[in-house]
Amino acid sequence: MVSRYEVNKIMAYVDGDPEPLAEFSADPAGFVARWEARAAATHVPSLDAGTLTDEERRAIVELDYGALYAMGSHPYLLIHFARAVECDARGADFATWKEEYREQVKPHGYPDFFT
Amino acid sequence: MAELVGVFGVPHNPLLWETLRAPYPDDLVRTAENFARFSELLYDSGAETLVMVGSDHFRKFFYDNSPAIIVGKAERYPIGYPNEIRTFGIEPGEVAGDVAISEAILGTKLLPDSFDFGMANEWLLDHAYSIPLSFLTPNHDLAVVPIHTNCNMPPVPAPQRFAQLGDYLRDAIARAPVERKVAIVTTGHLATDLGGPKQFLGGASPDAEFDAEAVGWMQDGALEAAIAGCDFDRLVTAGNVTLQFLNFLTGLAATGGRPATWAEGTASRYAAMSFFHWDLTGDAW
Repeated sequence: MVSRYEVNKIMAYVDGDPEPLAEFSADPAGFVARWEARAAATHVPSLDAGTLTDEERRAIVELDYGALYAMGSHPYLLIHFARAVECDARGADFATWKEEYREQVKPHGYPDFFT
Repeated sequence: MAELVGVFGVPHNPLLWETLRAPYPDDLVRTAENFARFSELLYDSGAETLVMVGSDHFRKFFYDNSPAIIVGKAERYPIGYPNEIRTFGIEPGEVAGDVAISEAILGTKLLPDSFDFGMANEWLLDHAYSIPLSFLTPNHDLAVVPIHTNCNMPPVPAPQRFAQLGDYLRDAIARAPVERKVAIVTTGHLATDLGGPKQFLGGASPDAEFDAEAVGWMQDGALEAAIAGCDFDRLVTAGNVTLQFLNFLTGLAATGGRPATWAEGTASRYAAMSFFHWDLTGDAW
């Protein structure tokens, strides 16, 4: 359950400011590696660092929105993270893209999103 | 003594920043009319300060540090997070605070014995506050006291607690030792889904049955029914961000559970837009 926090945290961080959005969108795997390296370097928690499980890391790096939704990440943070990367950073048309997103999350119903 | 002159309930969908502009698209004409009507009612009431009850969206308050209910106490509040400026086109701005009303709510040395509020002396307001302000007071000429309730990061306060907050705010405003006309502006959602399968249905509500029942609570002043009807699972079933409807219980309770003078779930391309108003001026109160 605490792990949902880690997924929510990286999604909120990427969506939150121009630099992390640009860095993540250009190189998701590199961004996540740096994210986890910052966390490993200190015992002091920070909102620009964290630790993910293998499946969480895969889902974030591969932008597997269905998996992120199914694992109980907060849907508000998920849609804004996804929209920021796909539409704001990579130029997808929101009206078209949101229907693709819907198809990815639809099979998973309404998972709990407690942390 | 301060005087409560009105209670409002309005939507805060950030997409309105760009879409609710003249000439209005057909499906948003009614939303524009309602915001204009409410703005006029607000100024007609003589309100000088708005006590705003809304829910920040993970920006000021996140999962590492999430208060249940927190009250702003600052001379000024800046507006506009970078992601809102980027995605929604929201313009950065600033609105004046009202420290005297903040203190009337929070206390100065001791918190009230009924609420363990958090306090924020610095607060960048997100669209929960800036969207209502942009359509109600576009010149930012009325002061605000922002209150954040945690409707987004469960566990959230119980529905009864939102009603108690309304009772408390009414009494705290009445006791405030300053001459001031105050309106309470609550903001939340009717049935709304974001990030789930029922988001952006192109005008169809994710749960029209909930919308009708919820507007009815406000029309009838049915506070107890509203509290009973705001079961956590019921709200989430209506749409995964419908928990923010709880803020409207605060508004209803602040009136003592009176029938609204205006209650409408306005159809639009988005989820139904909540417009609730209680006129508390003069003989009406």
